[in-house]
Amino acid sequence: MVSSPAPVDPLRVPGSTAALRQPDLTVRLGPLQLPNPILTASGCFGYGLEFAHLAALDRLGGIVTKGLSLAPLKGNPPPRISEPRGGMLNSIGLQNIGIEKFLADVLPGLERFPAKVVVNLFGYEFDDYARLAERVDVFPGVAAVELNVSCPNVKKGGIEFGHDPILLERLVRSVRAVTTKPIAVKLSPNATSPVAIAEAAKAGGADILSAINTVLGMAIDPWTRRPRLHTTRGGLSGPAVKPIAVRIVYDIATKVGLPVIGIGGVESVDDVIEFLLAGASAVQVGTALFRNPRTAEQLVDGLAVRLTEMKVDRVSDLVGGVLLWEER
Amino acid sequence: MQPIDTRGRVVAVNAHPLPYFSLVLDGPEEWRAILPGQFVMVETTDGLEPYLRRAFSVHDLSKTDRGARIELLVKIVGPGTRALAGKRPGEQLPVLGPLGQPFGSTAPDPDSDPSDTRPVALVAGGVGSAPLLLLGRRLLAKGTRFDFYYGGRSSPDLARREAFASLAQASGGRLIATTEDGSAGEHGVVTTALAAHLAAGVYRKIFACGPMGLLKKLAEMSAEHAVPGEAALETPMGCGFGACLGCAVELVTGRFALCCKDGPVFAFDAVKW
Repeated sequence: MVSSPAPVDPLRVPGSTAALRQPDLTVRLGPLQLPNPILTASGCFGYGLEFAHLAALDRLGGIVTKGLSLAPLKGNPPPRISEPRGGMLNSIGLQNIGIEKFLADVLPGLERFPAKVVVNLFGYEFDDYARLAERVDVFPGVAAVELNVSCPNVKKGGIEFGHDPILLERLVRSVRAVTTKPIAVKLSPNATSPVAIAEAAKAGGADILSAINTVLGMAIDPWTRRPRLHTTRGGLSGPAVKPIAVRIVYDIATKVGLPVIGIGGVESVDDVIEFLLAGASAVQVGTALFRNPRTAEQLVDGLAVRLTEMKVDRVSDLVGGVLLWEER
Repeated sequence: MQPIDTRGRVVAVNAHPLPYFSLVLDGPEEWRAILPGQFVMVETTDGLEPYLRRAFSVHDLSKTDRGARIELLVKIVGPGTRALAGKRPGEQLPVLGPLGQPFGSTAPDPDSDPSDTRPVALVAGGVGSAPLLLLGRRLLAKGTRFDFYYGGRSSPDLARREAFASLAQASGGRLIATTEDGSAGEHGVVTTALAAHLAAGVYRKIFACGPMGLLKKLAEMSAEHAVPGEAALETPMGCGFGACLGCAVELVTGRFALCCKDGPVFAFDAVKW
């Protein structure tokens, strides 16, 4: 009988003499380095500070802001949201406070957190994007810009750029000319060939591809015969779109050769790993944050635990690690 | 106070005439600070339908030894409310709250003019009665007399009418119930019952909650008879805390306010009905 058991080191793997290392969660997406691969998706985390009392902002890899335009936007008339099974259909219409108010009132508050601030930019006109990017270029608190060329919920602008490779290449080039910040381009799943759009973004000088934006959808109330959204069509998000997102991430990651941020239905560690294996270097958490505001920080913790279980030292080791079936 | 994301423990699911029930939840001490008109976001299922939480205004509130107990008055309308109806005592549900602006937040307190001792009118359409019980309790505690107008399509739509009747009577007022099919109370709509009294200047303020059609009519009556008031609105809500921007309410200024953050209580004359 042992009178005093050996002290248990919780960081020691049973049967191993080496203390367990914390897995390395840092990721690099071209010029953008993040403390961990979990970001919050544009439009799903407000401007960040809305969550300050509900979530631990200091634990996130990055915060992508609500889409910002040169002037404030009023947004679409209600109803703006509906809930199909396993997801959310929305048509907010890019309601936002405008870039100036963001830079003056919000950005200083966000700079207190180690999470990288990625500013999502949206324009009606071609030139809007470069003007916005030029405006934020001088702010050291902005780690990168994400160009929203794929919102399905506004009548003009935006989405046109995300569906036309020639136009998009010119657009990204115009932004590249005015900023040294990393440029992410957020891709639409509604384009005929997301790969062609992604190639165009790369040719224009993009550093990162974010995929996907919402899937264009529609729902009708069978009793009132009204579309469930005032704008008739809207963007579908949440778990329902995840397989679409994983497929597009896989396609562009294998064919385009730019780092990818996976977006679409992420709410569990399994989801994060799935996107990483498909080729994403990081993920954005979106709709899940409305259900549970702490989802993103919980994924950071859960991912570290999982990597330890998997005996994976660096999260980046998983990127693109999907094992395809052999041809037979 | 800032909302907290916590767990409520199901104490009971109390059946009312279908499709209504009360969900009673025990929670932390912070819930004691909940004000009439405020709401909580409840995760109704850990499954995928509905994916998001559901908003419920707090119907009743009491202290427990170490925390607080809230009651939610719920109408079964879809998968989320159906899931809640099947909860068993002891189950834990994620609850975020309190959220939103309470009654009395849009204008000076109705009791700010001590010379005006006229009663106030509480007006509910169906399950819109939910936030008005807690309001009635607070009015009673302040010594404010109120009449409770309760309208529904049919008798079951007047859930917990006895509780409202006794509360109104305790304040010195009464319950005026109406149904469109005449199965309970007066045969007709609640606005008809209210109109003559508003015209006669009986009331100094209206507090209401119910379907948009009812609230719009009340807003017109409020303007016509110069009796100010507030309405708690119900809109589809995604998050409940101002992030998703899904619960827009158009104001007379043309601006879209958020029902969850700027409301759900709005002054009648602020909303573009």
